[in-house]
Amino acid sequence: MDILIPDSWLREFLKTKAKPTQIGKHLSLSGPSVERINKTQYGPVYSIEVTTNRVDSVSVYGIAREAAVILSRFGIKASLQSIKPINLAFSKQVKYLDVEVDHKLCSRFTAVLVKNVTIKSSPLWMKERLMEVGVRPLNNVIDISNYIMHEIGQPVHTFDYDKIMGHKMFLRQSQKGENLTTLDGKIHTLLGGDIVIEDGEKRLIDLAGIMGAENSAVDAGTKNVLLFVQTYNPVNIRRTSMSLAQRTEAAVLFEKGLDPELVTIGISRGIELFTKLTEGKTEKKILDLYPNRYKIKKLEVDINFITKRLGVALSKSEISKMLTALGFETMWKANMLTASIPSWRANDIDIPEDIVEEVGRIYGYHNLPSELMTGPLPQPLSDSPFNFEVKVKRFLKGVGGIEVYTSSLTSKDASNSNAALKLKNPLGPETEFLRMSLTPSLIEAASQNSGEKEPFHLFEMANIYIPRKGNLPDEQMYLAGIFSNYSYREAKGIVESLLEELNVNYLQEPEDSQHFVPSKRLLIKSGKDEIGQFGVLENGKIYYEFDVEKLRKVATEIDSYKPLPKYPAQIEDITLNFPAKTKVGEVISFVSRISYLISNIELTGIYKDAYTFRIWYQDPTKTLTDKEVEGDRNKLLKNLKDKFGAILKN
Amino acid sequence: MQEDIINIKNEALSQIIEAKSNEELEEIRVIYLGRQGRLNKLTKEIKSLGKDEKKKAGFLINESKNTILRLLATQRNKLQVSAREWFDPTIPGIKPRRGHLHLVTQAIEEIKSVFEKIGFVRVRYPEVDWDFFAFESLNMPKDHPARDEWETFFVGTTAHPKYGQVVLTPHTSNGQVREMYRVKNPPIRMINITKCYRRQSDVSHVPMFHQFEGLVVDENISIVHLKGTLDYFARNFFGKERKTRLRPFHFQFTEPSFEIDITCGLCNGQGCKLCKAGWLELGGAGMVHPNVLKAGGIDPKKYTGFAFGWGVERVMMMKSGLEIPDIRLLYSSDLRFLKQF
Repeated sequence: MDILIPDSWLREFLKTKAKPTQIGKHLSLSGPSVERINKTQYGPVYSIEVTTNRVDSVSVYGIAREAAVILSRFGIKASLQSIKPINLAFSKQVKYLDVEVDHKLCSRFTAVLVKNVTIKSSPLWMKERLMEVGVRPLNNVIDISNYIMHEIGQPVHTFDYDKIMGHKMFLRQSQKGENLTTLDGKIHTLLGGDIVIEDGEKRLIDLAGIMGAENSAVDAGTKNVLLFVQTYNPVNIRRTSMSLAQRTEAAVLFEKGLDPELVTIGISRGIELFTKLTEGKTEKKILDLYPNRYKIKKLEVDINFITKRLGVALSKSEISKMLTALGFETMWKANMLTASIPSWRANDIDIPEDIVEEVGRIYGYHNLPSELMTGPLPQPLSDSPFNFEVKVKRFLKGVGGIEVYTSSLTSKDASNSNAALKLKNPLGPETEFLRMSLTPSLIEAASQNSGEKEPFHLFEMANIYIPRKGNLPDEQMYLAGIFSNYSYREAKGIVESLLEELNVNYLQEPEDSQHFVPSKRLLIKSGKDEIGQFGVLENGKIYYEFDVEKLRKVATEIDSYKPLPKYPAQIEDITLNFPAKTKVGEVISFVSRISYLISNIELTGIYKDAYTFRIWYQDPTKTLTDKEVEGDRNKLLKNLKDKFGAILKN
Repeated sequence: MQEDIINIKNEALSQIIEAKSNEELEEIRVIYLGRQGRLNKLTKEIKSLGKDEKKKAGFLINESKNTILRLLATQRNKLQVSAREWFDPTIPGIKPRRGHLHLVTQAIEEIKSVFEKIGFVRVRYPEVDWDFFAFESLNMPKDHPARDEWETFFVGTTAHPKYGQVVLTPHTSNGQVREMYRVKNPPIRMINITKCYRRQSDVSHVPMFHQFEGLVVDENISIVHLKGTLDYFARNFFGKERKTRLRPFHFQFTEPSFEIDITCGLCNGQGCKLCKAGWLELGGAGMVHPNVLKAGGIDPKKYTGFAFGWGVERVMMMKSGLEIPDIRLLYSSDLRFLKQF
């Protein structure tokens, strides 16, 4: 929660000579974070972030209370000017109001009638302060409520007393379907379970803790005001405020759980200000329904617990001194501390770790040493994929690939399947589905660069999400790449050399599939497992993809050692003519099976229908004679002629 | 005598200038400067001269030798240069196509390597996860106001009877309890790096981003170790002159909780436009809440721990000082952007 605290208002409660910058710096280190100090025409105003657990600090007074303790720790003289309530005559019954309250919804209910108020503009000092905290001044009655809320963090409401029919109030849970118009003019149909107040004519006159109803609001003609200060159940307030999207300042405070003791100060300040600014006359008796008074909450903590978590040993007296300054009471029995928690901290101090935090921050985290942990190291992951993934990425970078990160959230079309998981609350139709393929994303990535004339190769490694019934989707890591302005053989060479780098034994099988031009796609297999695909897309770009986990399983880190050949190979180039539509990949894999003496074959050139191959003849046991090579060559040529109709070109 | 010397010198110089090859130059050198060469012959004759004459002749012979030697060298270089093939070494090279790893990959690799050096184990937990791991087990029951901090995407599948709804994880903290389930018995030193999602998109937010989550659980882990680890990361990742500090903060799943700041790299902590009085916010951290340890099946009486979860994109931009005006550019596929890194 971000709040604004004017320096001059703060100093009403914080007695110190510290400069605003000092206050800002020290508060940030040990308490709420001062994000900025704004200069305004009335003086400096702190912009402060208070964490959600510290609703006791969401006010000028709350910040003063923290600052007094923290500045003193930094050696700057500072003290808190506490707010003392005036003499109040609380009573469980009053003549001017008849009430029935469900205390599960409202743990403390106070109200007092102020008669004969004069509605007018507030004095300048009040208007200025309200403007400094970003509130528009309206009239004295409304301004008083806002002023108290910002001063002490307790929302205050006012009713036009004469609009409460029968001067009766029934505070209860709403029924589903009940209607209420709040004073901003919005009509709400309630969901049930909201805290509402009904008057003597069964009208709903308040969406309690959030906003008053229009039918009971103070207006220019109001004579008598009911001043109203309560503590509400935070769970109900939050549910109502969220579901009706009615996020008022009061609701944001109430939903965090307020201190019922704060109500005393709230009603006291209200009476003071009403007397001073409206010339109204307050009834002597104040209605106060508070069946379960705050019982001091206590927490036991062993000093060793504190030492172990802070990492340094503080003395009992140091610990007591810091906690006492924060409003705790401390008592030691040997090493066991019993801390009595002040009412305003009862909600956020719950476990011994909370005491560690109080001691730690006031001692100053900057005063703690900084050390690495000792102790045994954890076991490494037995089957970690990360080195493999980065090896693939680095290889592709090395051969000119450019890595992209595209969104996992896609449109329905780009998710690539009707089965894709759909978000309940997407940002828009373009990012509504969890993709089941990288193909559409990479096609889109390439088309973002359609103006590029130079060849380029984009790749991405990312999860796809395969739905599983009654379970989380299977997140499968995929590698995909797309080539623009590359020749088929250049692109394929990159994919082949990746597979060689990874020492993968693979087969390629032509097979048509979605997105690809018919007969221009290869299925890449290792054994029987399909590990990936490669081919020409309908848009003319060349595309590949691999299932990274499958690829990793068939890759070998280091190829096994093969003894170096003792005898030299005989190498020769032969050029062959093939009939039209011969698949050269098949020729090559066929050749390597003809004779064990042919140790390697590579295609070195193509001219029209003539293909030049370089052939290695090698015998591990001896140097081959020309005659032996000739025998093998003839066998090779015969086989190729029989199988493919190849003719030797001279 | 002196005249003879000058004549011999001039003769030699004119021959040198006309010489066409190194061999010729060598011959000339032998003729004039060799042990039996013409100048040495004259040297032998000096003895017969008078005192003054002797001195002048000696001086002249030496000077002539030097002049001839210098011209020989100059001529030799001239011949060598003209004998070379013409070549321009300043011509630009033909570059292979240069690939590029995405900035996020580069940052992840660096982050990982810093933490691996101090014994952290890299893991990766689901991007699409149960509410239980993303919130409930992190001490955030249903309807808890703290959940508002995360603009969470929900997946439209049926909820699990025990683990609740399916969400896109809004932070890497979903890995905390999962890692406790996996390891069972501490020590744990985890670094979980993965994609996260939040329902927001503007110049400083992208719906898909990356975080790295550290989790350490063992006996006797204290705030001192959290400080030590984050200091170690900051000095190794950002530079050894950088300092960190802890400020109190609040998260449901850590107690105490902190916000970590690092000294601004631009002004070295002096205070400038980019930072807040010399400090930049790095991210949140804290001591693991006992309820989270319990949810992970770890005895909070015996073990303590700390955790932190920071944005990969954020630390990368802070490190490089890259001023990318719109963070969504990181996730575009524009080559003009990608090729810069």
